[in-house]
Amino acid sequence: MDKVTLEIFANHARAAAENMAYTLYRTAHSTFVKETEDFTVQITDPDGNVVAVPMDLGATWYPGLYYGRAIRMIDDYAPGDIGFTNDPYSGFLATHAPDLHMWKPIFHESEIVAYATGHIHNTDMGGAVPASLSRSLTEIHQEGIRFPPMKMYREGVLNDELLRVMLLNVRKPEQNLGDLKAFTGALHTGERRVRAMIAKFGIARFRQGLTGLLDYAEHQAREVLRSIPDGDYSFADYCDEDSVGGNPARLVLTLRIRGPEAILDFTGTDPQLTSALNVPTGNDPRHTLLLVGVYYVLYSLNPQILLNAGLTRPFTCIVPEGTVLNPGFPAAVGMRSLTCGRLRSLIFGAFGMAAPARMPAAPAGSSSIVNVMTTDNRTRQSVLAAINPIVGGAGGSPDRDGTNGSGADAAYLKNTPIEITETEVPVRILRYGLMPDSGGAGRWRGGLGTAMDFQVFAPNSRVTARNRDRCRFRPWGILGGMPGKPSDFVLNPGTPRERVLGNTDIVAMDPGDVLHIHSPGGGGRGSPLEREPERVLRDVQRGYVTAASAEAEYGVAIRHGALDEAATQALRARLRLGESTAHFRFGPEREAFEAIWPPDAYAEMTAILAALPVHWRFFVKTRLFEALREPAQGEGAARLRASFEVLRRATPGLG
Amino acid sequence: MAWRLGVDIGGTFIDFCAMDEATGELTTLKVLTTPEEPGREVMQGLERLQAGHCLSPETLAAFVHGTTVGINTVIQRKGAELALLTTKGFEDVIELARLRMPEVYSLFCSRAEPLVPRDRVFSARGRILSDGSEAEPLNLDDVRAAARAAEAAGAHGIIIALLHAWRNPAHEQAAEAAIREAAPGLFVFGSAAIWPVIREYERTTTAILNGYVHPRIDTYLARLEEALAARGVPALPMITKSNGGIMAASLGRTACVGMLLSGTASGVMGAAFLARQAGVANALTLDIGGTSADVALVIDGAPQFGTGEMIGEFPLHIPSVSVSSIGDGGGSIAWVDGFGVLKVGPESAGSTPGPACYGRGGDRPTITDAMAVCGYLGHTPLAYSAVGLDRARADAVVGRLAEQLGLGLEQTAEAIIDVAISSMFAEVNKLVARHGVDPRDFALMPFGGAGPMLGCLLASELGMTRVMIPRRPGVVSALGGLIADVKNDFVRTLFLDLDEEGLPALRAALADLTARGKAWLRDEQRFVGDAAISLSAEMRYHGQSFELDVPLQPAWMQDGDMAAMRDAFHARHEAVYAFADPAAPVQLVNLRLVIAGATPPPVFPPEPLAADTATPERMVEVFHAGARRAMPLYLRAALRHGHRFMGPAVVAQEDATSCIPEGFSAWVDAFGNIQLEAV
Repeated sequence: MDKVTLEIFANHARAAAENMAYTLYRTAHSTFVKETEDFTVQITDPDGNVVAVPMDLGATWYPGLYYGRAIRMIDDYAPGDIGFTNDPYSGFLATHAPDLHMWKPIFHESEIVAYATGHIHNTDMGGAVPASLSRSLTEIHQEGIRFPPMKMYREGVLNDELLRVMLLNVRKPEQNLGDLKAFTGALHTGERRVRAMIAKFGIARFRQGLTGLLDYAEHQAREVLRSIPDGDYSFADYCDEDSVGGNPARLVLTLRIRGPEAILDFTGTDPQLTSALNVPTGNDPRHTLLLVGVYYVLYSLNPQILLNAGLTRPFTCIVPEGTVLNPGFPAAVGMRSLTCGRLRSLIFGAFGMAAPARMPAAPAGSSSIVNVMTTDNRTRQSVLAAINPIVGGAGGSPDRDGTNGSGADAAYLKNTPIEITETEVPVRILRYGLMPDSGGAGRWRGGLGTAMDFQVFAPNSRVTARNRDRCRFRPWGILGGMPGKPSDFVLNPGTPRERVLGNTDIVAMDPGDVLHIHSPGGGGRGSPLEREPERVLRDVQRGYVTAASAEAEYGVAIRHGALDEAATQALRARLRLGESTAHFRFGPEREAFEAIWPPDAYAEMTAILAALPVHWRFFVKTRLFEALREPAQGEGAARLRASFEVLRRATPGLG
Repeated sequence: MAWRLGVDIGGTFIDFCAMDEATGELTTLKVLTTPEEPGREVMQGLERLQAGHCLSPETLAAFVHGTTVGINTVIQRKGAELALLTTKGFEDVIELARLRMPEVYSLFCSRAEPLVPRDRVFSARGRILSDGSEAEPLNLDDVRAAARAAEAAGAHGIIIALLHAWRNPAHEQAAEAAIREAAPGLFVFGSAAIWPVIREYERTTTAILNGYVHPRIDTYLARLEEALAARGVPALPMITKSNGGIMAASLGRTACVGMLLSGTASGVMGAAFLARQAGVANALTLDIGGTSADVALVIDGAPQFGTGEMIGEFPLHIPSVSVSSIGDGGGSIAWVDGFGVLKVGPESAGSTPGPACYGRGGDRPTITDAMAVCGYLGHTPLAYSAVGLDRARADAVVGRLAEQLGLGLEQTAEAIIDVAISSMFAEVNKLVARHGVDPRDFALMPFGGAGPMLGCLLASELGMTRVMIPRRPGVVSALGGLIADVKNDFVRTLFLDLDEEGLPALRAALADLTARGKAWLRDEQRFVGDAAISLSAEMRYHGQSFELDVPLQPAWMQDGDMAAMRDAFHARHEAVYAFADPAAPVQLVNLRLVIAGATPPPVFPPEPLAADTATPERMVEVFHAGARRAMPLYLRAALRHGHRFMGPAVVAQEDATSCIPEGFSAWVDAFGNIQLEAV
């Protein structure tokens, strides 16, 4: 297809996807779809590769989703059929049970020429806990009812028996049903729009157009890769906890860039977990969950880029089986979104090493979704409501500060007005704003995190805050920039009843209790001693940075609201002596952790675990962490081996 | 002879539409804008109307003005130095906004830099709760300290926006009094006084927009009033509003926020009027100028209204005519990317330097240049001779792209147009999908300088078979001002469950809004004549986070017929979202009242059927559908009621050029509109 027609075709394909998205958004029932916009729609080619996605609406994860494996698990299709699945282990399309994916084949003269596809996040799919999601779940069977790929519609007729089974097993059947109708309507819309495209362009050029758009995106992705120096870039990042109250989970990536291609080798990543933090990717070397961070990098480096599966072609992922990024059945996966946040910062870090001049420092990387369940003293009715996502800022960028309050890979979240929350929910918000000093200091400061304090007035009030992380391991700074400050969660701060909750995600509150939560801030970029003192002064005037931090972290002395230049020079000269030249600044927590677990020791453990059967791995890891609590003093690997030997001898069955 | 004058300022031109009150005869004019001296063009236009058309300022019975001075102040960030006073603990309300950002895939995405910098945001202790009760008294020491600090920081004005002022504005009012005393040099606006709706970010931003543009609009309108008075214009100047109505210019000097979308809204009002006049019920209006391309829906003769229209980077939360931007107009720049793909926009040559063919310094190919290369433009003087057309420059800049693409010059020009149309198609498509309507049920009504040039092409792409090109496409906005009612909106957030318990509050709010509406119309606008009141309520199902505006009948409230109100909501929900839940409880969030004092409708006598047939002025060479071909050029002034002709054809007139592709048949109706139908 010629390059003029291709651009016209691209506009029509985007319009088709956007039409689907607006139809779904307009007619859906549930808050998940309406508020969180946790849905996606796509047009795919006949093999199930995503060709077009909407740009304005929906979640950002699935432009490179591959429907083919799930599609082929159904034998034959007729016009009017709609296939669906929500099982994370059948076809590796759905990535946790609440996500229902559907696909509608579009026929032209008895041949499938495209699919209209998408997913919605259902409020609940049954299982052990409301909303089907909890870190504490240990196997997929606890996470709700699952359907392997099968037909929701046969030649336009709803599979009613199947639907009844689904609705019987879920907690909010009317919401699931309402969203399902809206979703079906969106697929019909997609089909209608694709037919209009075939009528406009003709079938031959329609086929060429689909291929052309995939090639176009592939070309753009390869251009970006070509602009980055060849090399091997290794990086590791940690989730604070691998289970409730657990040990860190390490993710490792070696990014190998060779001209217009790249390999993402995740070897060295922790074994799969006996918690719901696993990320199911099914041995697919281009699974979309592994590449979400890559989409962000590509789009950030070329905002003109077309988002579709063509982007994934230059990339090959290597992910050993039985690891947190490629778990084996029946590992639980419900809370994979927490791990996915870390997976994205892992990718940003590796690309940051490869293209330091163009990449930002780490974004805050943790978005806690705060929900409260309490009782209205007036009506005596129980109220369950989402209050706000507590999101952190973006990392310091090559030519400006990180965006405050949200941004980078969390820019899609919306908040709820305080006035609406207080009118609907019997709580009082005492504070909702930016967290001073939370952004990593740097030539370009990291974006500030957000803080919220609120009070409840009824006994047995319960608050959940999903996706708690980065309380311990900070969003890293780069090129001399300092890490962002960690997140925290505190009950009754500054009172005798204060309780620091850290990564806890469920807390009970008494009447009058105040809960404080703040997100991490983004990492800084470049040395804070290089930041213009005037800019630091302005940050102080704006309340982004306290005068004390201006002095301690930026070496800027402010007296009576004005710069003290002589004192600033002296301070900066002194601070410069101790400056590190490392690419990354991780903060004291990770440094202390890596004193106990130096990279060679961790690598040794990973090797030992990889050699064990899958069902032993999490157990052995946990025991090794219990055994090793002191700094390693330069013999990490040997000490680790010794500990494992002790454990092996003491544990029947470990062999 | 008494006449009325509508004046509309756009990005490139200022349009004049004068109407003889007795005959309905229209005289139109365009003058280039003088951005450095806004307002001077108005006087220029008045002089030309007097000199060229014997229209004397002394007999001007109505002067209605649409201006971009407000929106440009925001876009160019040339507004007042403001301070903001918030409730303690919520100082970041404008920086956090609603969190979500437009470019969700970019690690570098950011929200708009607030119009009030954080170091001029101050807070006061004191708390009103959601039920209107006071949990903590307002700390007036905090307020006074804030006022003094604001002054010291160089602020000219201060906006007060405290939590739950929508329910109880007592703290805002007390703060206003204290600030006036402590810092008399500051102008003050309270958020509840500007637009008292629930949702703190939306209310605060709307109040800030009002304060931000206030000094410039105040100065501008004062000068305009003076200048008109000096010329002996007896008419009280009126300005067009975002809500499609008009108000006294003197009022606009403080109620600035109501006129931010002045010109765009009156364009839709004008288009809706023309559609109704021609018997077209459903129209998709398409207003393309040099720097913008906007679409709006007219359903059953009425424009659609909404809140949250964007003013530059900021949402405006007062009711406005819903208009969606679908591009940057004729000035959008064409270029070729690294893969060799032809792109159009998002960069625009704007009004300065403008398209290359205008010869005002533009050196990159734009959509207008592509139209010139194809041969559509330049057959008659453009824009009342305000600009010339330099075809050679257009050939040169489009030629550079042709080399990159390896296509012929004219093929490249046509490709630019095709790509631009496909991108507009994608944007219009979102609008119709959002509203759940089918464009094939609508007639496309292109206007603005470039609308008729691209309208038919876009209509074909959208599968629309009807196009209506108004008689004077260049001055539809100016005409919209002439036919608009004196109109204002009032709101009261109630946030109550729609059941019998809520009835007293509902009735009290209705009485209050009605009294305020009547006072506004009679006392502030000095309007005598019939007032029309329309009521609506923004409602939702319990648990939803957005509302639907549902028209209400006053009788329902008088009779306490809550069921009728609920049913109206269910029906509206079904219509908009394709489902309703009659068993679910309904919340009424905002009660709204619109008061309108009717402007006497202008008389446009239908033209009698012409006895002759359409005669082309001459044949012109145009590159169309892949080939150069001769097609007839018609002069709009020579087209009469009943004339028929077939596309392809070009129709030229002083304020716009219409391109009528192959496959359309045209006939001229009794009001001079060209009605096109795909055959």
